[in-house]
Amino acid sequence: MPVSAYTQVTELSTDAHACLTFGEQEDLLDLTAAFVRDGLASGFRVVVLSDSPQLATAKLGWREIAAETAVAAGQMVMAASQDGLVGPQGFSAEQAMDWLRDQLADSRRQGYAGIRVALDMSWALRPMTGIEELPVLEEEIAGVVSGAGMSVLCGYDRERFDPVTLALIARFHSHAVAAATYYDDPVLRICRQYVPPGIRLAGEMDFLASEALALALGEAIRIDGDITINMANLSFIDASSIRMIMEAAASLDPSRTVVLRCRPAIKARFAQLGADRLPKVSLVGVDER
Amino acid sequence: MNGNDRQSDPASPGDSAVLADAEADIGDGEARLDLDQAFDSGTLYALRAAVQAHAIQAGLPENRTDDLVIAVHELAANAVRHGAGAGRLRMWERDGALHCEVSDSGSPASGIQAGPGGNMTERWPFLQGHGLWLVRLVADQISVFSGPGDTRATVVFFLSGQDPSVSAPD
Repeated sequence: MPVSAYTQVTELSTDAHACLTFGEQEDLLDLTAAFVRDGLASGFRVVVLSDSPQLATAKLGWREIAAETAVAAGQMVMAASQDGLVGPQGFSAEQAMDWLRDQLADSRRQGYAGIRVALDMSWALRPMTGIEELPVLEEEIAGVVSGAGMSVLCGYDRERFDPVTLALIARFHSHAVAAATYYDDPVLRICRQYVPPGIRLAGEMDFLASEALALALGEAIRIDGDITINMANLSFIDASSIRMIMEAAASLDPSRTVVLRCRPAIKARFAQLGADRLPKVSLVGVDER
Repeated sequence: MNGNDRQSDPASPGDSAVLADAEADIGDGEARLDLDQAFDSGTLYALRAAVQAHAIQAGLPENRTDDLVIAVHELAANAVRHGAGAGRLRMWERDGALHCEVSDSGSPASGIQAGPGGNMTERWPFLQGHGLWLVRLVADQISVFSGPGDTRATVVFFLSGQDPSVSAPD
């Protein structure tokens, strides 16, 4: 699908039924975070359904989304798949729709002007009875969101769901959403990061992809505010790429900062080349995954 | 004869003729050629993976393996970007150290003339910037040979973290 067929996650309407396809877990978390952030900022109710609400809360946390606070205030609901879309007897579209309608009714009862629901659909990869009704669920969601002030973001792992299923469920969505990607091959991926704003590098980065890195850095610089370069899943970076990132950081207005998130070995490499001595740069280590 | 040498190059690792050549080339001590791999811009990723695997196999500590991989990458990147566009890596273990030789046997794009009295910077004007600086920083030893149409850089990493020729008794 050409890139132009995708809608930016930040430009979804208030009654969108969006299909988010992702290749990396980071994409799902990042785009979900942007969807949640904008929903909270608009004063909407926000519901996030995932396999592990505790983990999802933590992962939204480093993306500067205070999920715990929003949950305590009643504006946000962190739900587990097994408490929402999937029942103890397996999956049924009717039961799942009951849960979704309950969320909408609850939101209205409490006076919210709108509601955003983010669904991590990975539960549907598990063998369970009734899963053949998945397209029915997606079709019914499409019917409910229309004019209801509810938008739903369904996250599908494009590597793990089969193409036939993806093509079938895509038809019932009003928008297709994916991370803006500057470079993507089996060795390296460079894409935009929405929350916190910046770029994300995964795999191995060297001078062969310097044009794509320059483009990605250029776009990040043109957006206002601080920039995060997320290299949590980067295992190699060469000197010329480090230099390009440092030069981009040095070119920023003094009021802006650059956060470099990286594994210990990559962090040490940036420090060797002097990045830790740049006043605008902070090097943040992350655990290897 | 040069013609025969070139024919023996593609032989699989472990081939006795290649090993005999390698031992003649890579020094007097007991040496074992671990890796002999051609590279160009499309195979730098594979080169890094092979160097990493062999360094781990040889027992180089993890952080030094990272250093070795980037040292070899930067030398190979120089050959790709500023030299012939392709080259060859040979890696061997001798006297408690890993040796990685990156050779670029084509004419450098900058057309330098190697002179016997010239210093390394004059012979390798393309080996500048952060890449080579980083190689010098991380390698235990580095040596560069440059002749007409033939440039070879060798980095040495001590397996124990220190120079075995200094610490060894006798």
